[in-house]
Order: sequence, then C-alpha cells, then structure tokens
Amino acid sequence: MNAIKLPFKPLIGDWLVIIASLIVVLFLFKTLWVREPASQLKIRLADKVIGTYDLNQTRELHIHGPKGEAIISIENGKARFKYSPCTNQYCVHQGWLSRAGQVAICLPNQISLQLLGAKSPYDSLSY
Amino acid sequence: MRFFLILGLALLLASCSQKEPIYNQQSYVFGTLVDITIYGEAEEKSQAVSNEIIHIFQKLHNRLHAWQPSEITELNKAFAQGKHITIQPDVATILADATKLSGQSKGTFNPAIGGLINAWGFQKDEFKPTKVDENNIKNLVAANPQMTDIVIENDQVFSTNPSVQLDLGGYAKGYALDIALAYLRKQGIKNALVNIGGNIIALGQHGDKPWRVGIQHPRQPSAIATLDLPSGWAIGTSGDYQRFFELDGKRYCHIIDPTTGYPVQNIQSVTVLIPAQNNAGTLSDVASKPIFIAKPNSRTDAAKIMGIENFLIIESENQIQISTAMAKRITWLDTNAAKQAVIMQP
Repeated sequence: MNAIKLPFKPLIGDWLVIIASLIVVLFLFKTLWVREPASQLKIRLADKVIGTYDLNQTRELHIHGPKGEAIISIENGKARFKYSPCTNQYCVHQGWLSRAGQVAICLPNQISLQLLGAKSPYDSLSY
Repeated sequence: MRFFLILGLALLLASCSQKEPIYNQQSYVFGTLVDITIYGEAEEKSQAVSNEIIHIFQKLHNRLHAWQPSEITELNKAFAQGKHITIQPDVATILADATKLSGQSKGTFNPAIGGLINAWGFQKDEFKPTKVDENNIKNLVAANPQMTDIVIENDQVFSTNPSVQLDLGGYAKGYALDIALAYLRKQGIKNALVNIGGNIIALGQHGDKPWRVGIQHPRQPSAIATLDLPSGWAIGTSGDYQRFFELDGKRYCHIIDPTTGYPVQNIQSVTVLIPAQNNAGTLSDVASKPIFIAKPNSRTDAAKIMGIENFLIIESENQIQISTAMAKRITWLDTNAAKQAVIMQP
C-alpha cells in the first residue's frame, strides 16, 4: 500500500469504513445487476451448434436452414435475425438481442440464437 | 489489507476455474424447440439419454400429429364417418385424461375443436393470415364437439358426434414432459431440465442451486421474471405471441375460445407453475388454457377450478395479475412489470 500517497494518515476506523463501503458496493452490484451484458452468440441449426461467436465485432453470417438462407447480424454487443426465408418472420421481429440468456428462434428454419454471458440469469425459458 | 486483496483474488479465480458438468442438447420436435439439459453425468451418458428422449418425443409426435397422417388423424376420419376404430392403450389413457381435464375446465380446454383450429389456418407448420367464413365458424361452434362425445370401449373407440376432431396441441407437449421425467428417473439421472416449446419440467437441481427458469416477456425478446423450479415441478406459458397472425391491424392468436369459435383477444400470456405430481408436465400445458380463455373477471376462478395456486396473468403492459403463492417465488427482471403487478388474494 506504500505506492498510494494520502494527504492524511488513515486510522483503523477509516479502513473499516472503506472496507465496509466496498462490501456494500459489491453486495449491491451482485444483487441488483441482474441483467448481464452478453459477450457471445451461440448459433444452432437443428440439433447442431454451428458456432459460438464473439459479440464484439461487426459481422454477418449466412446460415442455410431447411427453408433457405438466413442472415444473422452481429454488431457491437448485440445480434439479430436480419433476414429469414420463413413465412411469419417472428424471428426477424424479435429484433436485437443484447443480454445474456436472450434467445431468438426460427422454428420453420430450425435456427436458434442464444446470447451467452459470464452468468445467465436462468437455465431455461418458459415462452 | 494485503490479506483482503489476496482473498478477493482467490475467490475470483475459484469462481471462474472448473468447467461445469453440464450437457445441453436441442432438437425440433412437436413443431417447436426441444431443449434438454442434464447436470452431473458423464457426457456419453447424458448424450445417450438425451438422444433417446428426442427419439421418444419424435415417435409420440408422429403418432399424435393433428394434421399429418397419424393415429389421431385416423381417429378423426373414423369419428367423422361414425365408425368404430381400434386404439392403442396409451392413446385411450390420453383421451380419458384429456376428457377429465376438459370437464374440469368446463369445456374451455377442449381438444375436440380441431375443426375450428383448422378453419383458422393454424393446422399448418407455416400458416398465413386467414380470413374465416363467419358462417363456417358458427356452424363449427353449433356442432358442439366435446370430449365426452367420444366413447371408449376396451380397445375400440367411436364418437357420437361427427364434428369431434381431435387436436392435442394443448396437451401432447406437457404429456411428453411427464414421459421424459419418468424416463430420466428410470435411467438413474438425478438432475435434468427438459423444455418443450416453453413448457419445462425439472428433475433435481443445477449443482448446489435449484434449476432457474425465465418467463418470456410477451412483447420483448427477453425474460420478464425468473423463478426457481424445484425437482418434479413444471411450468408452462400460453401466449398470444408464439403462433399468431395479424389481419387488418388485429392480432389473431392460436388459442381459440370454443364457445365463440374465435381466437382469444386482449390477453398476452398466462404462466402456470405446477408442484411435483404424476402429471405435472401435462398440467403445465393444459391448465394455462382455461385461464387464458376465461373472461377477464373470471380468470382467477378458472385457475381455482383447475387447482392452480401459482399463476401469472399478463393482459397488457400495465395489467398484470399474480397469485399470492407465485408472487413469493418470482424475481422480476422487468422493473415496470414489478411495479404494475397486482397480487391476487386467494
């Protein structure tokens, strides 16, 4: 701790206050920070994992499903179905996903996107 | 101070070392996504068990399919012609159970209205906005197909009403969850989570914590809340956002009120949580429908007659009702929903 030059000499009480505040901050962070930003995108086609991609890039992926070619966009921490050959377009209308645990599924074309983070807030989703 | 720093670093490192013994497999069955997670088993075993479950689901799906040639379409043909037909014992059990649940729901859960579901164009993998013929809908409702019209005599079955057209779309996925749970137990699996199109059943837990599930926000691509799913419990959601079409600015969802013949309006989703019991999976699929279909002021009554203590009803962004029991279990992720939710006194 010699590297830090403080204008006063902290007493034991000061240290206790600092440590207590740090604990409170860490506790609040852990309990309130439920929405983990995602870091990776997992793409599946039917029962196969096509790949896991870093979300911190700008990239377009072309995936061939049973209905045809879908285009997946990755852009600075988020991902979406940009184009899908399916009829109802639910997957495209889901829009951008950005938080860990979020999923977008194209049932007709059997392509699913799942955002992964350090800690997903849940194991599975009831939809 | 140095001690605290070292302790902190040690904790950080410990939390991100070891890989979890978790296996996950997805597949497309029942026209939806099936997701199986197994915890704490060797990968080869998890894979073999998951593959077999998918195989069991596929067989069941093929047998119970409402519009591709199956045992159910054969039954429907026979019913329309007033003929007797032989059925498999498990199908007889399914029909008897579905009839019982339909009676309990006062006919709001009615798997005999395949004719109506077809008229609205939902008996297709990819359906299009369908303009219905109002008279046709009226006639289909007036024909009054009921599960009680079906008569089972040993291995023979017939219908006293030719308009009975079975569609187990609101039953089969939940039933399959119960089959999957029994199979997992038989194989000695201690911890697993099976999700069929949003209906989920839990076995054991995820390491030292219970399995945690998210509930989909009906209008956003994220979860609205989470809750822990104890072993043997199941959860299911019926929504207007999974299978629907829009026509002239109006949303038509796949859940049809058997008394009007029209898709239910003005409700976005109903989630039910079912405690561990033999047919927890089946109930997670079936029990949300009567609540979804009920008139706005009688949804809690519908929950009561189905024996559901844990439910969440989302009519709109600012009309959210949650049962007292469910409120104790849920953790909101959506701050607006947390503010808007009204806790229903039992």
